[in-house]
Amino acid sequence: MPQPIIRLADVGLALESRAGIVEILKGITLDVARGQSLAIVGPSGSGKTSLLMILAGLERATRGDVHVAGRDFNALDEDAMALARGEDIGIVFQSFHLIPTMTALENVALPLEFAGVAGARDQARALLADVGLLARIDHFPAQLSGGEQQRVALARALVPKPKLLLADEPTGNLDGKTGRQVVELLFGLKQKSGATLVLVTHDERLAQQCERTIRMEDGRIVADERSVVAA
Amino acid sequence: MTVMNAPATDTPRARPGLAPSRLVGIALRELRAGLSGFYIFMACVALGVAVIATVGTLSDGLRAGFERQGGVLLGGDATFARMHARATDAERAWLAAEGTLSETATVRTMARRVDGEEQALVELKAVDAAYPLVGEVTVAGTPFAEALAEPGGAVVDPVILSRLGLKIGDTIRLAEADAVVRATIVDEPDAVADRLTYGPRVFVSHETLAKTELVQPGTLVRWRYALNLKDGAGASPAGLAAFREKAEANLSQSGFVIADRRDPSPQITRTLDRLRQFLTFLGLAALIVGGVGIANAVSTFIERRRNVIAAMKAVGATSGTVLRIFLIQVLAIALIGVVLGLAVGLTAPGVLIALYGDALPVRAEVAYSATTILVSIAYGLLVALLFALWPLGRAELIKPSVLFRDEVAPDTVWPRPRIIAATVLIAASLLGFALAMSESLRIALYFCGALVLVFLVFIGLGTAVTRLARRVPRPRWPELALAIGNLGAPGGLTRSVVVSLGAGLSLLVAVALADASLVEELTSRLPKNAPSYFLLDIPKDDAQELGTIVEGAVPGAHLAEAPMLRGRMVELAGRKVEDIKPPPEAQWVLSGDRGLTYADTLPEGSTLVEGSWWPAGYDGEPLVSFERDLAGHLGVKIGDYVTVNVLGRNLTARIANLREVKWESLTLNFVMVFSSNALQGAPHNLLATVSLPTGTTVEAEAGLGRAVGKAFPSVTVVRVKDALNTATEILEKVMVAIRVAGAVTLVAGALVLAGALATAQRRRVLEAVVLKVLGATRRRVLVSHMLEYVLLAVIAGLFAVALGGLAAWIAVSEVMRIPFTFSVEAVLKALGVAIGLVLLFGSLGTWAVLRARPTATLRAG
Repeated sequence: MPQPIIRLADVGLALESRAGIVEILKGITLDVARGQSLAIVGPSGSGKTSLLMILAGLERATRGDVHVAGRDFNALDEDAMALARGEDIGIVFQSFHLIPTMTALENVALPLEFAGVAGARDQARALLADVGLLARIDHFPAQLSGGEQQRVALARALVPKPKLLLADEPTGNLDGKTGRQVVELLFGLKQKSGATLVLVTHDERLAQQCERTIRMEDGRIVADERSVVAA
Repeated sequence: MTVMNAPATDTPRARPGLAPSRLVGIALRELRAGLSGFYIFMACVALGVAVIATVGTLSDGLRAGFERQGGVLLGGDATFARMHARATDAERAWLAAEGTLSETATVRTMARRVDGEEQALVELKAVDAAYPLVGEVTVAGTPFAEALAEPGGAVVDPVILSRLGLKIGDTIRLAEADAVVRATIVDEPDAVADRLTYGPRVFVSHETLAKTELVQPGTLVRWRYALNLKDGAGASPAGLAAFREKAEANLSQSGFVIADRRDPSPQITRTLDRLRQFLTFLGLAALIVGGVGIANAVSTFIERRRNVIAAMKAVGATSGTVLRIFLIQVLAIALIGVVLGLAVGLTAPGVLIALYGDALPVRAEVAYSATTILVSIAYGLLVALLFALWPLGRAELIKPSVLFRDEVAPDTVWPRPRIIAATVLIAASLLGFALAMSESLRIALYFCGALVLVFLVFIGLGTAVTRLARRVPRPRWPELALAIGNLGAPGGLTRSVVVSLGAGLSLLVAVALADASLVEELTSRLPKNAPSYFLLDIPKDDAQELGTIVEGAVPGAHLAEAPMLRGRMVELAGRKVEDIKPPPEAQWVLSGDRGLTYADTLPEGSTLVEGSWWPAGYDGEPLVSFERDLAGHLGVKIGDYVTVNVLGRNLTARIANLREVKWESLTLNFVMVFSSNALQGAPHNLLATVSLPTGTTVEAEAGLGRAVGKAFPSVTVVRVKDALNTATEILEKVMVAIRVAGAVTLVAGALVLAGALATAQRRRVLEAVVLKVLGATRRRVLVSHMLEYVLLAVIAGLFAVALGGLAAWIAVSEVMRIPFTFSVEAVLKALGVAIGLVLLFGSLGTWAVLRARPTATLRAG
């Protein structure tokens, strides 16, 4: 059995707030196998997004062990985590977070440019063709629809060929039809690239498309289910 | 579970690193949003750079003009000047062997109408047929050479004719000689070299000068020998340097002040250098005040780019990469400002020279030097970096997690140590650069120290006011409560306004108060016993008779006299004067010749502070009493030896004591007072003061002038009030120049203010809309804004008055040692300017605030 791509052991996250210290994650232990698709579901405030942020290296666990893509996140500083993201982790946000002053092509090429990869634009162009936006590559985010922006964001997340693709409510800001198109694309690309997919969602139908679903409540995993309709 | 075709290894891939060209590409792409929000930044950089480049280019132009016209301005390749003593035959022969020689003699005297009714102080210049060796004297009337070739001819400044009520063809009396005015002067080529200090010019021939009988042993005549070197030896700087070395070796004991074409007037060159330095510092001050605007702009920019920065980090950018990207952007914007500033700075001098070139003593040229351009660029970029780096450091600290959840940015964020270290390094480089570029290390240090102090004081005061506003109980009047609330609000305007206006206003207040004190001192606060007249060149034996005449013309008038010679300092405490580098305030003592006197007793207006006075009839080794402050500046003490060249021979005396001199008493006083045995054998004249009893009428004063003129035609009469008026006029011109320069700092402050108000605009619109929703009328919103602005302006203005007043007080009472006069007008003006500026920029924004539609604003969030 190969090493899991995500291995969390008794992970806790406590944040300081004006009201005092708030425990957001309370002892999460989780292994995710390579290539698996995992949905994290749960009510608002249950800790889904915080868990995703820990997996992305955007938040540091206050206790426990975090191993992602062969790296011990507790041993990495902020910049090393940024480099790790640039190489192995792609993130898709609910609000897309494209850089408004850059075209679709430039947005997608950016992670490769940060990694100093030659031919960044060609790779970005190819990926934009995969998401059906070849005709829109010179458009700025403001000139694209929500669905198109999320497709650009998907291409940007996948362009460095990450081992792990993280998505935070990827359809949360899209209408139903566009959302379905994006989800289709997301799973198609995941399949093609062989990456592991972890997504946070409120949408049970979307969660059911994943091979595995974990349910969270009050900072804990309360259920771990394997989907029967898994891809 | 299906295992996907995941990559086989977790080994990190090799990263080739981000090429600088790619970084620049990303930075420029990211700047596509436009430069809005950076206009103030660019304007602040451009303003400071423009001032520094204008000053530099103008000064380069003057220097270039000065150097190119050096020969004309000097009247030859080289000149040799000496007081009292005409060149000896041997000296003249030596000079004549080196090339073509021209001899001139200048002496102060009175030009009178033949009827004795009117008289005017003039600078008489006797010239020979060879004069001028270079250039020509432009005249109106009979051609210059012809006018002087005929016996008894004079060519005069037209001012003299109008003052005496004469015209061309009339006769003027110069001491014992009469001369016919044959032409008036339009342009005197070497006027700069023969500085006009006391009055307008009168040209005569040496023969006429001899007839005036002014040239007596001891008369203050300045003999000047202009030389055009033979065989073109003066054509190259190397040839001039070689000649100068030879001349100094051959005429070392002569007491001549030697100048050559390369630097026709070291005094003017020094003044230009000092002016350049002073104005460059003011440009730097404007840049640094503008730095607050730069910091505000970068801070706002980074705040607005939070999500972009976070997104970059989320897709793999390291903190360093993010910092570099935004640093490139900031540098690019600073460069635009620098280029704009340079464009202004390089074109303005041409315009200024075209408009005001005639007012300058030298025909200025437009000259561009790489040094000036590089210095301007360096100052612009260093200051932009200094102020941008700290807020840029925040970009590094933005966490990508802000993309997932809103995070409140803490009030005070310290950047990482490397940013702090870089900021300190840049500040040190800026200081080092300013010191390296400055003529006087001490002045540069004072300036930088004062600037840092002013900044710290105003930042501290701004913070204190913000904190105080948070604590004071809110008044019942809601508008005032709102205004005070805004003063203390986080991210409020208080600190920006106090800092931006503070520095410029303090400078203006300091200048205004120092000016008020100086003018008061010069015009209304003459010491009770201050003399009304100075009488120059009184023959030693005529003192008693002169006293009788003065007493006869104005009964009760008091005459005080002192022997007066002029000499040049040669050696101080074993060091040659040329090797001494005195501080700027003492340089005048060593340049050119000084008045010297001798006395048996301590002169009036002096206090002995160290050592003892020589006994009456002392006949030992020559002694000298030195003025205390200058002795300190020049590094001499009791027991040291001083050598002066008087009448062409060196006199060495030992410093016996130090005196404190009250120069402002206007009594007869000198830097050096020798023991009588040292100088009384030398031919000399007397200098006298006349103090008139109170209530002396103008008619009686005029009568005194006529009586002295009649009995002693060679005696020069200077009215103290006229001299003081001239001094006041010069002072006023200098003060206007300083005010204009100070205003530049205020403009920089106004830019910062406009930027700060613009940044706060969005918040203020939202606040006003909420107030309107809660039932506030537009009048109420308007009043609360105006109250806030007036409060801010008054606070900034009062601090500026306090700091500027303190600076003026130190300068006036501690440095100049004259009484400090507080001018309410100056204070009111400063407050007026502060309130005016804040209200002006504030009301522009308030107009938009009042027009804001609540629904649109609330929907937009």
